[in-house]
Amino acid sequence: MLTPLAPDSWDYAKAAHLLNRAAFGGVPAEIEAAREKGLPTIVRELVEASAGAAPFPAPPWAQPRNIREIRMAIREEKNEAGERKEKRQKFRQMEGESILDLRRWWLDHMMTTSAPLVEKMTLFWHSHFATSVEKVKDGYWMWRQNDTLRRHALGNFAALTKEISRDPAMMIYLDLQQSRREHPNENWARELMELFTVGIGHYTESDIRESARAFTGYRIDMTNQQFRFASRQHDLSPKTFMGKTGSWNGDDIIDILMKQPACSQFLARKLWRFFAEDEPSAQIVDAVAARIRQHNFEMRPVLREIFNSREFYSDAAMRNQIKSPVQYLIQSTKLLAAELPAAPVAQNAMRQMGQILFAPPNVKGWDGGKAWVNTSTLLFRYNFANYLINGDAMRPGTDPSKQKGADLGFRRGPAFADIPRRDPIDVSKVIPAELRGKPTELVAYLSTRLFQAPVPENEREAFLQYLKAREPDAGDGTMRGLLHLMMSTPQFQLT
Amino acid sequence: MDPTLHTRRKFLRTSMLGAAASWTLPVFLEKTFFTLDAMAAEAVTQAATGKDGTILVVLQMAGGNDGLNMVVPFGDDAYYRSRPRLGIPAGQILKVDSYAGLNPKLTGLKSLFDEGHLSIIQGVGYPNPNRSHFRSTEIWQTASDADRNESEGWLGKYFDSCCAGADPTVGVAIGDQMPQAFVAHTPTGVTFSKPEQFRWMPSEKRTGPMSAEETFFRQLNGGNDEDTAPAANTGGSIGAIAGGTKVNQSAVDFLQRTALDAQLSSDKILAIARKYKSNMPYPKGQLAASLSLIARMIAGGLPTRVYYASQGGFDTHAGQLNTHDRLMTELNGSLSAFVADLKEQGNFDRVLLMTFSEFGRRVGENANGGTDHGAAAPMFVLGGAVKPGLFGKCPSLTDLDHGDLKFNTDFRSVYGTILDRWLRAPSELVLGHKFSSLPIIG
Repeated sequence: MLTPLAPDSWDYAKAAHLLNRAAFGGVPAEIEAAREKGLPTIVRELVEASAGAAPFPAPPWAQPRNIREIRMAIREEKNEAGERKEKRQKFRQMEGESILDLRRWWLDHMMTTSAPLVEKMTLFWHSHFATSVEKVKDGYWMWRQNDTLRRHALGNFAALTKEISRDPAMMIYLDLQQSRREHPNENWARELMELFTVGIGHYTESDIRESARAFTGYRIDMTNQQFRFASRQHDLSPKTFMGKTGSWNGDDIIDILMKQPACSQFLARKLWRFFAEDEPSAQIVDAVAARIRQHNFEMRPVLREIFNSREFYSDAAMRNQIKSPVQYLIQSTKLLAAELPAAPVAQNAMRQMGQILFAPPNVKGWDGGKAWVNTSTLLFRYNFANYLINGDAMRPGTDPSKQKGADLGFRRGPAFADIPRRDPIDVSKVIPAELRGKPTELVAYLSTRLFQAPVPENEREAFLQYLKAREPDAGDGTMRGLLHLMMSTPQFQLT
Repeated sequence: MDPTLHTRRKFLRTSMLGAAASWTLPVFLEKTFFTLDAMAAEAVTQAATGKDGTILVVLQMAGGNDGLNMVVPFGDDAYYRSRPRLGIPAGQILKVDSYAGLNPKLTGLKSLFDEGHLSIIQGVGYPNPNRSHFRSTEIWQTASDADRNESEGWLGKYFDSCCAGADPTVGVAIGDQMPQAFVAHTPTGVTFSKPEQFRWMPSEKRTGPMSAEETFFRQLNGGNDEDTAPAANTGGSIGAIAGGTKVNQSAVDFLQRTALDAQLSSDKILAIARKYKSNMPYPKGQLAASLSLIARMIAGGLPTRVYYASQGGFDTHAGQLNTHDRLMTELNGSLSAFVADLKEQGNFDRVLLMTFSEFGRRVGENANGGTDHGAAAPMFVLGGAVKPGLFGKCPSLTDLDHGDLKFNTDFRSVYGTILDRWLRAPSELVLGHKFSSLPIIG
């Protein structure tokens, strides 16, 4: 049912929509360029661009270590309780710094990549195969998983699922490495079905028990932090899974799951929710699922068809999605022609907006959609816009508090003591000089830039009235005030 | 359109008219409008409350509190055998019976117990205990079975099933991040660590009572009047938002409603923070600051059913003696001040406070003078309406599960009792099962 979009209906608004969803949004010049290229070309560029085209080096610390030796060394400090404690603390501090660095590394990657769809899909998979450093507690393993997700981002879903079953971070997160022949652990087996492939209602408790036996023997070699298969721990006896009996191993189980109609449906629904609409209709899920099966779970052709389809540009899809915090941060930074905030600030802001990378709230990943926004996170987004625009010069605000300096709760804790100060943005990079004295044109330009669309009349009027109230001042302060006002709206949360 | 929203929009429209006009008016008139605005905020606060509702305060002791050194089974030799260095001498224990007593630092809680306002529930846990902080916290927050992953919190489910359409301040968490316990299908509840942060901060310096930016911020986030809401969406040529077809479902409609809620909650919280200061001396520290803020919100009549606060630092793997002493001192001082504050307000009978931690600690101390992650532990429930006493059995110190205490009261029995008996909410609906009730509420 996915109908190709008629070429003559391709316009600026649709180009903006495509860049919002398949990338991290564009400034007017980029959207205009995409419009001019035409839909097939821009979709091809997005879908064909691969992570390899612009190699992004791993963080220098992201190297496997001999964890066993490190642990033994800590344990050996037996009689020196103080030293041992110190060593352990040092070890933990290092882990904390590496994960802070990793978060910033990925955000940088999203900002600068020439293959934004790869990052979007990596983010999709991160929430799909949700794994948290809170339990994994190792920066290298988290980086390694992220690298796996990126390498398979637009590839084959079955192949990715098999890779993830051997991914140390996931194995720790869902206790797979504890699974022994005599005591198969069912956590991974259950989530594999419930959250990763077919969804609840499409398997039985017996399927869980049987498949858990197929994944026995999956181990992590602690001397090099890699996957290893311990054949002696693997249960070779026959298993009956989804009505089929055989000496299935883990990969066999995944292959059987891929053949279930529920699997393509489950993935189709999640994909459509992520890229197009919060509440996909049954018809659209069926249509996308059919394409997924047709393409044998290859993501690249499926995504190409989605982005070329009329349904993707429907009224129900366009400007009717709430930006994720990641999208909010990356897109705002681009629209303000600014730099990302310092790593600890970005991390803290992401935490307060409810999407801290490498630490999804649970194995279900982020719910997304309307769950991104509540009164607290919305106010935080508004105030964070102020910080992004004005930096540390952000005004202390109204008198009830009488507080000094900017305080969004960023600077708590010793790690935050020496964050470099953030300067206000360079207004001239955002607002063409000739528009300063022309309120109507200025508001029209910024509406296009910030919302990729004209705003409702009453809001347009409010922006104009603000400029009028500030007359004759049309300096940088007023411009920053206007930008902040425009970003402090429901409209700006939409994508 | 629900009636509260209608009233709130009406209020906002009134105050906005004043504010919206003020940028062209002379300063003395601005002042008048600002005062009117503050008065209107006050009126809303008063109307939305009612001094009779019961209030639950949830206190999370994060990191895994050593329950055995909080409620000490001094009558059992096994306690001293397992803890040659960490065992608290029987002579120092604040005894509640011939077997168990409170940590010596918990003097205020002991008085509360003697007055009949503290119930202690021993051996609380759940089947197949998980020893990961992250996972076990999740289990406590979502009230799920240990082998189930759920995303919605137990208090969130309460908001969803029993507080639909309520003011967003029905749940207030003090902190930087909303606890998972608050996660609901329909986002409800507000989170802030300082009232001054739970408000919109304009980027210009204000010159009068309200800057131009703030004036228009309020206008832009005031929600739409019910009669103009569809028009606002279809109005311009805004992208492709189909105003007529899904006004109630669209993201922009949801956002406008949340924006309105945020603005009103923020005004209300700031108004209360300005007006209600406590005379009660609280000790230093984050917990005391949080509880003192909660006491002010209660005094100001915020229409909140559930408050949430936390105390961190309980992960005492090494050198536990001093750390745990300090934590118990902080807990005792903060709770004592909070109780005294509520008593002075005359609100003590309306408030019930429950403590929990993701797990207790191992019975045997480790080689570093600390304790490792354990399982079952005691909970405190205190308040004017509490039935005092020692409930549940203290688990055996010798019949252990991998070195850990076996639970004998499911934590969901405590949740269920509080839901049924205190919040008057059907616990089965919220928790999915009926758990046996405890006689802890009078």
